[in-house]
Formats: sequence, structure tokens, C-alpha cells
Amino acid sequence: MSEHEELEASVAAWVLGAVDTDEAELMRVHIDACAICREAAVRLRRAAGALPLAADDVAPPARLRERVLTAAAASRGSLATSAPRRNEPRRPVRMTPRATTRARLPIYAAAAAILLALVVGAVAGDLIGRDSVRPPTSTVARFAVVGNQELAGARATVIDLKSDGVVLVDFNGLPALRSGKVYEVWLITSDGRADPAAVFVPDSNGSKVVLVNRSLEGYSLMAVTREAGPAGSDAPTEQPQMSGTIT
Amino acid sequence: MEGLADPDLAAALVAGSQDALAELYDRYAPLAYGVALRVLGDPARAEDAVQEAFLKIWNGASTFDARRGSLRTWLLTAVRNRSIDYLRGRAAHERQEQELVPELVEAGARSDPWRQVSLSLERTAVREALTSIPAEQRQAVELAFFGGYTHREIADMTRVPLSTVKGRMRLALEKLSSYLQGRGLVDV
Ligand SMILES: [Zn+2]
Repeated sequence: MSEHEELEASVAAWVLGAVDTDEAELMRVHIDACAICREAAVRLRRAAGALPLAADDVAPPARLRERVLTAAAASRGSLATSAPRRNEPRRPVRMTPRATTRARLPIYAAAAAILLALVVGAVAGDLIGRDSVRPPTSTVARFAVVGNQELAGARATVIDLKSDGVVLVDFNGLPALRSGKVYEVWLITSDGRADPAAVFVPDSNGSKVVLVNRSLEGYSLMAVTREAGPAGSDAPTEQPQMSGTIT
Repeated sequence: MEGLADPDLAAALVAGSQDALAELYDRYAPLAYGVALRVLGDPARAEDAVQEAFLKIWNGASTFDARRGSLRTWLLTAVRNRSIDYLRGRAAHERQEQELVPELVEAGARSDPWRQVSLSLERTAVREALTSIPAEQRQAVELAFFGGYTHREIADMTRVPLSTVKGRMRLALEKLSSYLQGRGLVDV
């Protein structure tokens, strides 16, 4: 069988992103050189590009808009002011999956099972024992920061967009501050040094998306205190009212 | 910003306009989130995938070429690919296969009212096409596109030969393609 005969049958699968890595590379090289397969790939890609429309619209949580706009402003800023960071070596890949992502694995499996049940019906059972989910090496890490004492109802989700060099902290349920006070975010090393990371005042709903413009590498905790505004303090003046372990 | 066609919106994105990004978000966020949620089934991860896709467009807007496809298609393809990466537990840089940037020329160059009409026509056409094809063809395409499975995995789980799965994918996409062409929704 010629290479063309062998690969032409996989053009649709390739366009759907459904061929193995090695085969994808073979296909890419072949399609560059083969007019017949290229023509088919272009035509089928147009069709595949419309497939997302088979999904239903779902209104995202209102705060996602703020997250996107805040992260965009920050990532463009980092490109403009510190372009060389792109050339820095990538952070070492951690050898153990993070706790949060590991905890999510069953959710993936459940989601996959639901999807399968929807589209496959009778053969859904085949998937459950499938063990091809590799350890996550996501470029996004999430962890929670939770309040205690007077901030017991407060909570934040930290979203570390490693590939964009941006960390967002999405706060909810923060009590209003006394006049002249601000919330201050701290990054704390394992030997207890606290570096100031951000200062903010929440909106009237007790919410805020805060940008932390530095890497979390080398820190083990994120914490929040109330400090004198508008600039905050150089070192915390009270026990942390919120804290979370950096994962 | 509201009435801007894709190339102008892309130019505004390149220039760093937050308003342009907000406009892109307002146009397509429900679509994008719907795709991510369908793939991942997990709201938190779906939000992350949508956010990463918008950042990808924002940081890559200078490479936008309206002849190669609309901003919408680029965005939704990025959402789908990131969602699948999460599902399979792989980082974006491990993605070896080509990005599914289709050369789909449709609403991009047209005015705002047409974009809405075109989107709804195209959505109707995609759904009609998918319901009109045999169930096993639809299943093969959906498992690949929304489930992130390879043709080999699909062959295993549906217990049919690999060549049959490849054939089903091909037939399904050919039919979808002619369905869209027949309604004037893609340029030939
Ligand atoms: Zn060929």
C-alpha cells in the first residue's frame, strides 16, 4: 500500500484531532506534500470547525468576564514590559500530580462517563475501566484560600495561569472594611517570610478579582490580612484572616 | 465595537483594546462556555478553558487572518482543544496535532446583524446534519470532537475495526460539509 492510500483514510480523523501523536506528524508531513489529501483536509476542516455549534449555549458565571479581562490586561502588560521572560527556561515539571488536580480525576472520569452514556448508550460500560487518563500536567493550577475568625464567610479561588505568568485571586464573601483599611494579600515562604503581593478593596458585594503579578514559585502559603490603606503594610500587622496552601 | 466585523475587531485586539476583548467575550462567551462544559462537565475547569482560549486569541490576535477563518471559529477551536487537553490531562505544549483552524469563511467579514443570522443558520444546519446522519457516524465524530478519544480508542470501545471508525468519521464530515455548502454557509 502506498503512503497515500494508507493515510488518506485517516484525513477525517486527523482533522478531528483523533489520531495518535506519531500518526499526526506523519499526516502533517504527507498533507504538505499531497494535493489530494490537502484538498480533503481543507474541506473537512471547514465542517469540523462548525462542530462546536452542536453544543448548547450556556451563560458563564458573571465573574468569568472580569477574570478574562483582568488576565488579558496583565498578560499583555507582562509581554510588553518583560518580553524576555518568554525565553526563560520553563519551570521544572513537578513529578507528582497536584492535590487539586488529582482530586479532580474522578470528576473527569464521571464527566467522560456521562458524555459516553449520552452518545454511546449501550457501550458506555466499556469506558469505565479505561485507564488512559495520564497524570495531569495542566498549565493552570487552582487552589482555595479560605477565611477564618471575622472572615469566616470569605473564600477565594486562586487561578495560576502559569503559561501566561499571571495569578488571579477571585474573592467572594468579604466583609466591608472599616474606613481607611484595605485587604492585603501575602505570599509566605516555608520559613515564614511574608512578601506583600497585592492590596485591594472589595466591591459592595464583597467580591473582587485581584491580580498577583509575580510567580508563586518558592512560596508555600497565600494569606490575607487587613492593613492600613491605601498602600497597605510592608509586613502583616495581624494574624492572617484568610489563608490557603499553594499547590 | 459592537458592529465591528472580525478583521476590525482583530485589529483592535492587536492594538490592545480591552473594549475589543470585552466585545469578543460578550459575543461568544456563552458559546465558548457551552463547548467547554460539554467536553469537561465541570464548571470550574470549563471556566479555566474558556479563559485560556480568550487569552490565546488576545495574545495571538496579530496572527489572525480572516481568509483562514472567523474569530469565532478560532476561539471555539481553542476552547475545544484546551478542554480536551484538560480532559486528557495534558499540557497545551504537549499538543502535537495541528490546531483545527478551519478555513471557514462565513460571518467574519459581514456586518453585525448578519453575524447573528448566520450563526443561527449555521447552528441549525449543524444540528440538522448531525441528526440526519447514521447514529454510528455521529457517535464516532462526537467521541472524537467532544470526548477527545482517538480513532483507535473509539474502535476499541465500540468494538469495530479501526478502518470502520475512520470511514465513519470521513462520511460524517463529508455529509456535514455538503450540508453546510448546500446552505451557502461555507465558501467552496
Ligand atoms: Zn495523500
